[in-house]
Amino acid sequence: MMLQVEGAYKSFGDFGAVNGANLTVSEGELVVVIGPNGAGKTTLFNLIAGQLKLDQGQILFGGENIAGLPPYEICERGIARSFQIANIFHRLTVFENVQVAVLAEQRKSTSLFRPAYNMAVEETNSILESVGLLHKAGNIAGALSHGDQRILEIAMALGNEPELLVLDEPTAGMSPEETFAAMELIQQLARERGITILLCEHDMDVVFSVAESIMVMHQGRTLLQDEPEAVRCNAEVQEAYLGVS
Amino acid sequence: MIKSLHPSVVGPGPSLRIAIAMELAQNLDLAALGSQLLVGLSRAMVLFIVAAGLSFVLGVLRVPNIAHGSLYMIGAFSAYTISTLFGDSSAGFWLALAIAPLVVALVGLIVERALLSHLYDREHLMLILFTFALMLILGDLVKAVWGADYRSVLAPETLRGSVSVLGAPLPRYNLFLLFVGPLVAVGLWLFVNKTKVGKISRAAAADRDMVSVLGINVNAVSAGAFVLGCFLAGLGGALIAPTVSVTLGMDHTIIIESFLIVTIGGLGNVWGALIGALIFGLTQSLGVLLLPQFAIVFPYAAVVIVLLLRPRGLLESICSSDLIDSVNRKARS
Amino acid sequence: MLTGIVDGRWLAAAVIVVAALFVLPSLIPPFYVYMLALIFVTALLAMSLNLVLGYGGLYQFHHGVFYGVGAYAVALILKKTSLPAGVAFIAAPIVAAITGLLIGWFCVRLTELYFGMLQISLGSLIWAIVFRWYSFTGGDDGIHGIPLPPAISSLQSSYYFILSIFALSVAALYLIIKSPFGATLQATRDNPQRCEAIGVNVRRHQLMGIVIASFFGGVAGVLFVVLEHSVFPDLLFWVLSLEVFIMCLLGGWFTFLGPALGAGIIVTLRTFAGIYTEYWTAIMGVLLILLIFFLPEGVMGFLLSKFKGRSEHVEPVPAPSLDTTAARPSTDVASS
Repeated sequence: MMLQVEGAYKSFGDFGAVNGANLTVSEGELVVVIGPNGAGKTTLFNLIAGQLKLDQGQILFGGENIAGLPPYEICERGIARSFQIANIFHRLTVFENVQVAVLAEQRKSTSLFRPAYNMAVEETNSILESVGLLHKAGNIAGALSHGDQRILEIAMALGNEPELLVLDEPTAGMSPEETFAAMELIQQLARERGITILLCEHDMDVVFSVAESIMVMHQGRTLLQDEPEAVRCNAEVQEAYLGVS
Repeated sequence: MIKSLHPSVVGPGPSLRIAIAMELAQNLDLAALGSQLLVGLSRAMVLFIVAAGLSFVLGVLRVPNIAHGSLYMIGAFSAYTISTLFGDSSAGFWLALAIAPLVVALVGLIVERALLSHLYDREHLMLILFTFALMLILGDLVKAVWGADYRSVLAPETLRGSVSVLGAPLPRYNLFLLFVGPLVAVGLWLFVNKTKVGKISRAAAADRDMVSVLGINVNAVSAGAFVLGCFLAGLGGALIAPTVSVTLGMDHTIIIESFLIVTIGGLGNVWGALIGALIFGLTQSLGVLLLPQFAIVFPYAAVVIVLLLRPRGLLESICSSDLIDSVNRKARS
Repeated sequence: MLTGIVDGRWLAAAVIVVAALFVLPSLIPPFYVYMLALIFVTALLAMSLNLVLGYGGLYQFHHGVFYGVGAYAVALILKKTSLPAGVAFIAAPIVAAITGLLIGWFCVRLTELYFGMLQISLGSLIWAIVFRWYSFTGGDDGIHGIPLPPAISSLQSSYYFILSIFALSVAALYLIIKSPFGATLQATRDNPQRCEAIGVNVRRHQLMGIVIASFFGGVAGVLFVVLEHSVFPDLLFWVLSLEVFIMCLLGGWFTFLGPALGAGIIVTLRTFAGIYTEYWTAIMGVLLILLIFFLPEGVMGFLLSKFKGRSEHVEPVPAPSLDTTAARPSTDVASS
């Protein structure tokens, strides 16, 4: 088992955003978390990647408890993520955005008296090529289109050479065609680079076409995690989620 | 045997003990403690009035007004001019106390309408830069009008000298400040919580966009808040004038002190400003008893401790996270 | 090493400018030599601040402290010990860097406005001690008549010394900004949260930036002593820090050379306006207001956008409010 979340709880004041979430992700799998708005999906992802601290429960990655570690350490251990809102370095170029991640992965971020322009070039370019942004490498990231910024986010996450890639609604704000292309890309990356993927997504057509395992969240709680067909047929899920939305 | 041979080893004899006790009493003179306490408290009152004005402007306008100290200085110099016009009479002082803050408020109104109001949509650092430029200009303006000499303002006769409480001479004027501070605090509280204008400005502090959506003229609210802030700066300057020598450079000290007070109190929180001012005034005046040479170090050390323990200030900022985020985000751009 | 990260023409231009500056003192009156040297000292101070301000996005509100600490360190070593000047010149920036480490260690726990305020209070603490410790620092009188080695004690020779150290420091700062550290520092400025998520220890990085900036601030302090042979507590007063801050904004804090330009403008203005009028601060104030209304990107930003026909400055998008350092839960995080 690559990632295992057991009985995770997180509340903000009186509001319990995550009230007992369980999740397992096996190596090489593509797991999708679904649930209505406010179900706690983003909070769960923030707990896994360390942006938030768990109140209760444990998060095992490769058998070790990673709950409570700072984000950069979790990243060093092999979990990279993207954010729901495009979250990039606006004033840097596309190339630099990815390069910074690659340099962090190579532990060269604090290297002082070496020019960065010829460091990690091959790795960075190969990532940019595989996501199709190589021809925009010199552009200022903040000036990219929304769709390209989302792809750039994934590219940055790849710079960390993650074992597990956590994507928080990677297709939010994309047109149907862009969504389709982005999902193709994610599946392709997973195959080519042998990365395990955990993502959440609203579009049910997309979910059922890509997911190998689906975890359903409702009001901060895990209803179940199972194969797509089993989830589709589950009465409780239909009532709580599919039926409603 | 040993005892009688070496009395000093086991402790001083009775007579020596009395002498030590007297010396201790002299060092920790209760009268000195009392008067230092009063000095600290009364200074805290003036700091509070000035810092409250700064805090109010910061809350409603999101402008950390670096020129606030210059307005305080103008208040002090105006008080000097007005009171000398009346030959340093008691009436002169009271008139100065009434008019000087209005003069400063007028300066504030002119600045706000002519310049500042055109900048509200700009990046925050630009607003900070503007108020810094204002500080430079107002500082030279004071130099041009009043010169670089030391000036002093006489307290009215009823407030001169000191009263003796338990053998401690307490200056009457400081007692007067102790009375004015809470008065201003209550007045501000009533204004903010009980008047319509006050409520609107409080709402504007919490959520500026909402207020404009409600069809309230945000510009008028901003102008009003800025003028009130300037009024308080001027009042502080007029109040402090009889206790210090009025001179150029008094703006530099007060502004940094007020900023730190506002920060440890909680941005935009008037009560926080009161607590912060008390901390600042008392640590300094009690520091005088402890280590006179380094008395000015104590308040800064106190601020450091507060900020390390409670980075967002002692009391909650009334502007909630909105102010902080908007200040931070705008400034980052 | 500079080739490759510097356009050949720029490098050539830089060499020509430095060479010209070396020839200049024999052509102009001493007064201008002094003014130029003062500009170099101030420019180095402003550029060191801009490493953390413009490239690191940190509210370094009290950078003057490191300048002052560097100056006082060299002054005290030369005045109170018999150590050679070379030791003093090397030790002083290190003392400034250690001060930066101590102040920065506390400050990086906080963000932005609070970072700045904590730094002001810590810096004022140091200022207050220097201001009052008459027996050690000379209190508000400062220290005067600091003995310098004969080789650099004349105006002419101190000019050459200051120019050389200035040029070396600027080159070093440029290399640092173009290094992986510099690139990552800019990333922490643009988006600290994202930076943590790609494996960067943001606080440690910011702390490193502060230490480096305070080191070069200390170097500027040493150069100040070389030029003036004296130190006084105003070097650590917050007004000076704010002035340096303004130089960065004035020159253009999005650019490498902008802060130096800002320093040049302000020092020149003060020197000349100071000759004709005692109201030079008001003139500077009016100039700043004009700048705010008409050149918000700073002089250098304006020149760059004129020459290149476009601005390097990209309108930033507000960062998402997931604040990892705040105790307060953010609504963006809670909803999914």
